Amino acid sequence: MPQDFQEKPPAGAFFDTDFSTIDSVLAVGLLHGLQAKRDCRVAIITMSRPNLAVAGFADAVERFYRGPAGNFAQVPPIGMITAGHPGETSPAFAAPFQKKKPDGTPLYRNEVKSVIDTADPNTLFRNYLEAQYDQNAFFVLSGPATNLAAALAFPGLKQRIAAKVKYLVIAGGAFSPGPAEAHIKADIPAAQKVFAEWPTPVVASGYEVGAALEFPGASIDKDLAAAMPNNPIADAYRAYRPMPYDAPSWAMAAALYAARPREGYFKLSGPGTITVHEDGRTSFAASEGGKHRYLINDPEQKERIVQAYVELVSAKPEPRQRFRPAALAGRQEQKQEQKNGAGNPTSPPPK
Amino acid sequence: MTKNTAPAFVTGGALPRRTILRGIGAVVGLPFLDAMSPAFAASTAQSKAPVRMAFFYVPNGIIMDAWNPDYVGPFQELPRALKALEPYKEDILQIGNLTHNAGRALLDGSGDHGRACGSYLTGVQVKKSVVEIKSSISVDQIVAKEIGHATRFPSLELGMDDARQAGECDTGYSCAYTNNLAWRSEMQPLPPTLDPRALFERLFGTGQPMTPAERAQQLKYRRSVLDFVMEGTHKLETGLGPSDRRKLDEYLSSIREVERQLERAEKDNLQIDPHMEKPYGVPADFAEHFKLMSSMIAIAFQADLTRVVTFLITREGSLRPYRELGIADGHHPLTHHRHQPELMEKVRKINEYHVQQFAGFVEKLKSTKEGDRSLLDNCMIVYGAGLSDGNAHLHEDLPTLIVGRAGGSIKTGRRILARRETPMCNLFLTMMDRMGVRMERFGDSTGRLEGLDLG
Repeated sequence: MPQDFQEKPPAGAFFDTDFSTIDSVLAVGLLHGLQAKRDCRVAIITMSRPNLAVAGFADAVERFYRGPAGNFAQVPPIGMITAGHPGETSPAFAAPFQKKKPDGTPLYRNEVKSVIDTADPNTLFRNYLEAQYDQNAFFVLSGPATNLAAALAFPGLKQRIAAKVKYLVIAGGAFSPGPAEAHIKADIPAAQKVFAEWPTPVVASGYEVGAALEFPGASIDKDLAAAMPNNPIADAYRAYRPMPYDAPSWAMAAALYAARPREGYFKLSGPGTITVHEDGRTSFAASEGGKHRYLINDPEQKERIVQAYVELVSAKPEPRQRFRPAALAGRQEQKQEQKNGAGNPTSPPPK
Repeated sequence: MTKNTAPAFVTGGALPRRTILRGIGAVVGLPFLDAMSPAFAASTAQSKAPVRMAFFYVPNGIIMDAWNPDYVGPFQELPRALKALEPYKEDILQIGNLTHNAGRALLDGSGDHGRACGSYLTGVQVKKSVVEIKSSISVDQIVAKEIGHATRFPSLELGMDDARQAGECDTGYSCAYTNNLAWRSEMQPLPPTLDPRALFERLFGTGQPMTPAERAQQLKYRRSVLDFVMEGTHKLETGLGPSDRRKLDEYLSSIREVERQLERAEKDNLQIDPHMEKPYGVPADFAEHFKLMSSMIAIAFQADLTRVVTFLITREGSLRPYRELGIADGHHPLTHHRHQPELMEKVRKINEYHVQQFAGFVEKLKSTKEGDRSLLDNCMIVYGAGLSDGNAHLHEDLPTLIVGRAGGSIKTGRRILARRETPMCNLFLTMMDRMGVRMERFGDSTGRLEGLDLG
C-alpha cells in the first residue's frame, strides 16, 4: 500500500476535477493547506468539463494561493478539456469577482479569457510529471474520468505515469448498496478504462465516505475568515448555497488520504479489483495482489478528520519552497538512463 | 591567373539552375534567373522556387512588455521591440505561448541558459554535464539531411560571439550547449562560423582554404572574387534578357558590397588593435558584423547555395556590453533586473537594437526579386529566443516571429496565440512540413501547430 515519501521533496499533487460540487473547490484549498504543512506540492489542476467561467475561477484560486509569479516559479495554467458539455455554472464561480480593490479592479486576478489561456490536460500532465521524482506524485480524481482515460491513450504518458505516480485516489464509485455514483456515471467508459488500465495502485473513496463527513460551513466565517479576510474559496462557498450549510466532502476525503495515507484517518479494504459495470455501479472483488482498494469510514476518526479539514482549508497560503536535491549526481545517472533512446528520430519514416 | 570557366548552358534551352561562374580559387553561384525556365518563365519560377528556412536566436530572453502587443489578429501598431520591423509587418507572423518544457529545470536545478539554447532546436532536455555532452539532432539538421543534397551547402551554422566548445558556460552545463544551435547528432554540435571572411571564402571559394599568404596577396592586389569570374560573367550576360541582366548585376553588386565591407572591417581591426585575439575578419562593430553575416545569408539564399541556416546572434548567457548604445553593463546581468526600471530599460534597448539589425536583413530579402515574388516570400525565418522573461528564466510564451511566407504557405501580417503549454516543437514539425520533410514527431511535439496558414 502507499507509503510516505522519504528523502524526496513533498509529493506532487495532480488534481483533476469537474468542480461540480463545492467540496471540489474546498479540496483545492485543502491541498494548498497540505502544501503549507509540507505534505504535498500542488502541481496542477485540470478540469474535465469545458467551462471557461469555472476555469477562470480555478485560475484565480491558484493565483491567490501561489502568489505572484517569482523567479523560477510560475503559476501553471489550468488544464481544461475542450470537448463535451460545459455543464452548469454555479453563481459560486462568479461571486469572488464581485469583490474589488479600492481602485475598482477585481480583488482576485483571473487570466482566463479564452481557451487559449488554459492548457491541454495531456500536455500539462506530461510536462509537470517530468518535473516529479520517480514515484513521488499522486493523482486525485473528483469528477468524470474523461481526462485520465485520455491520458492513458496519449503517446508515452502511461509510461510516465507508471514511473512518476505512486497512486491515484478516486472520489467516485460506491461500495455500499445504492445507485451508481454520479462521477462514474458521467463517463462510464472512461471510468472502466481508468480502473482497468491505470498503471499504479488505485484507491477509491466511495460516495458513502464523503457523504458521512461534512465540512462545517460555520468555519468559513470563523476559522477561514480569521486567517484570511479575503479568500476566493470562502467567497465561492458563501455563494454556492444560502449560509449556513455543511457540505459533504467527497473530494476532500480523497485529497486528505492521498497526501496523508498513513495518518489513519480511514480504514482501508484489502487488495482486489474494482469493476465498473455498464450501468455505472461499482463492485469490489478481493484478490491477493489486486491493484485496487477502497476507503472505509472509521467513525472514531470523524472528528479528527473534520478538524483536519478546517485546519487545512484555513491554512494561510505559503509559497512553495524550492527543493534542492542533495544527491544530484546519482539521480542524474538514473535520469539519463531513462532518457536513452528518447532523442529525435533523425529522418522521416520510410514512405 | 584569371583563366575563367564559361558557364555551361545549352543555347536554346533553359539555363541550368546549378550554373556557376568559376575562376581560379572562386566559385560563384547564381540567383534564380528567368533564363533558367524560359517557357512560362514567371509561373514556373514561382512554382519551383524553393523554401528557405533560418533560425535567428537572441539570448537572455526579452522584456516581454516590449515584445507582445495587447491584441491578437492583424497587426496594428507594432510593440516597441519590433518597431524596426514596421515596414515589413505584413511579412511577419508573431506566435505567442509556445513552450519549451525541455528548457525548464524539471529535476536538473539551475542552468536555464544552458538548457534554453541546448534544447531550442533539439526539443530535448540536454544532459547536465560539462564534459559528457548529450542533446539530440536539431530540426535544421534533420531538414539539411533530407534536402541538403540539392544545394552546395546542406546548411550553414553562423554566429557572432564566443564559439568555445569546452568548459562550463552555465551552472553545470558545457559551453557546447550555450554556444551552438545546430546539432548533427546527440553528441555532435555544429559550431557556428563567426568570421565573415571565413564565411565569404566558404561561399565563394573552391573549398580549399586560402593560406594567409594567398589572402594577403589577394588583399595586396585588391582583387575581387568577381574579377576571377569576369570572363564567365560576360559570356553569361550576352545570353540574358534585360531583366535577368539587371538581376545578375544587382546580385554581383551585393557580393562586391560584402567584399568591400569585409575589407573595411579588416582594415579597421588592424587599426584598433593589431594584437587583438579575434578571428582575422571579425569586425569589432556589432552592427557591421551582423550586416556582413546576414548579407551573406541573403546571398546564399538568393543563389540557392543552401536552404537551411542557423544564426546564433550572440551566445546564450552572453555578457556582451552594448557600449554603442551607452550600455556598459553585460547583457546577461542586466536581464536579472529584479524589476528595477532603469535596468529593464537598458534591456529593452538591447532587444530593440537586435531587432533593428534583423530588420536590415529582412529588407535585403524583401528587395530581392525571385520570380514575381520577393526572396522573402520564399523564406521562413524564425527570430526568437529560448527564454521569454530572462529575469525569471521562463521557458513559456517564448518570443517567436516567423518572417516570410514560406512560398505562400504561411499567412503573415498578424499575431496568433497558441494554447498555453503548446510545445515549440509543434511549430518545428509544421515548419519541416513546409520544407518537404514529413516527421511524425520531433522533440516533445504533441502534434502540428494549427493556424499558420489560416486567417
